[in-house]
Amino acid sequence: MKVKVATKILEANDRIALENRKIFDGAGVFVVNLMSGPGAGKTSLLEKTLAKKDGLRIGVIEGDIAGSDDAERIEKFGAPVVQINTGGACHLDANMISDVLGDLPLNELDLLFIENVGNLVCPAEFKVGEDMKVMLLSIAEGHDKPLKYPLMFQESSALVINKIDLAPYVDVDVSKIRKDALSLNPGLKMFEVSCRTGEGLDAWVQWLRETAGKHRVS
Amino acid sequence: MHEVSIAANLLEIVSEQCRKEGYRKIESIHLKIGRASGIMTDALLFAFDAIKTDSLAKDAVLMIDEVAVSGRCLDCGRNFTVEEEYVLQCPICGGASFQVSGGRELDIVDMEVS
Repeated sequence: MKVKVATKILEANDRIALENRKIFDGAGVFVVNLMSGPGAGKTSLLEKTLAKKDGLRIGVIEGDIAGSDDAERIEKFGAPVVQINTGGACHLDANMISDVLGDLPLNELDLLFIENVGNLVCPAEFKVGEDMKVMLLSIAEGHDKPLKYPLMFQESSALVINKIDLAPYVDVDVSKIRKDALSLNPGLKMFEVSCRTGEGLDAWVQWLRETAGKHRVS
Repeated sequence: MHEVSIAANLLEIVSEQCRKEGYRKIESIHLKIGRASGIMTDALLFAFDAIKTDSLAKDAVLMIDEVAVSGRCLDCGRNFTVEEEYVLQCPICGGASFQVSGGRELDIVDMEVS
């Protein structure tokens, strides 16, 4: 016998993500789901952002398949941090975030970064309760990435293009990254930065501060 | 790479409905998977077969309809579908204003039970 199901496969995840979002909203914390391929510089961007936080109260959830190296790097900046080890899973899901919410002083935070597992595909599919997704791409990954991995570019509110100081040494057309990313997502906000030299980071932190601030007021 | 998570979610949803409605066995499950969903259907089939053992769906086969990316152009007003996983411009008039409406599906349509 045929029976109707008519359900989205990720419905359970989306439901938990919504519950997480309510908890974040209740605590007045703005949540950024930070995604990129491995080695693009997510933790470096967080370190540089923490160094410029200037009164902004920032917490971090670190997602990695294994290890706590990233959390240890964040801890040095005195920021509240929780490490999640996915034990093989290639992305964070809403349930993993729900499990660690009690370990963070959410009421004392303005901004919470959820650093996803390094992967250009899977994290884009799973909501975790964030206010926005931000994607990081290092120029050394090549200018073909927007069209090869369109979903993450489409889902993100902002794209941070990192390692811009390597431009003289790699055959990459940064304007093509910008053009293709914008075609996929016309509202995409873009930043070019170097976490190594510090170039472009002030504009990124300023925008982050304004975006999180708007959320607090509204 | 996240096909195992998708397969696990799928198995949970259909098993729960099957139990709730008092059926004993799932014979087949009909899915709609969008081409822009980031899911490889071969990997999903493989993952589902690996995790379905010892469940009400242990003999179930997946029947997957792939859904092409589609949309409507706001310049020429026509509907379109594309072969790619993304749309950069209207394939008919080349316009840059369009709304993408299909291709992201990860839906369970129905299932055959006994």
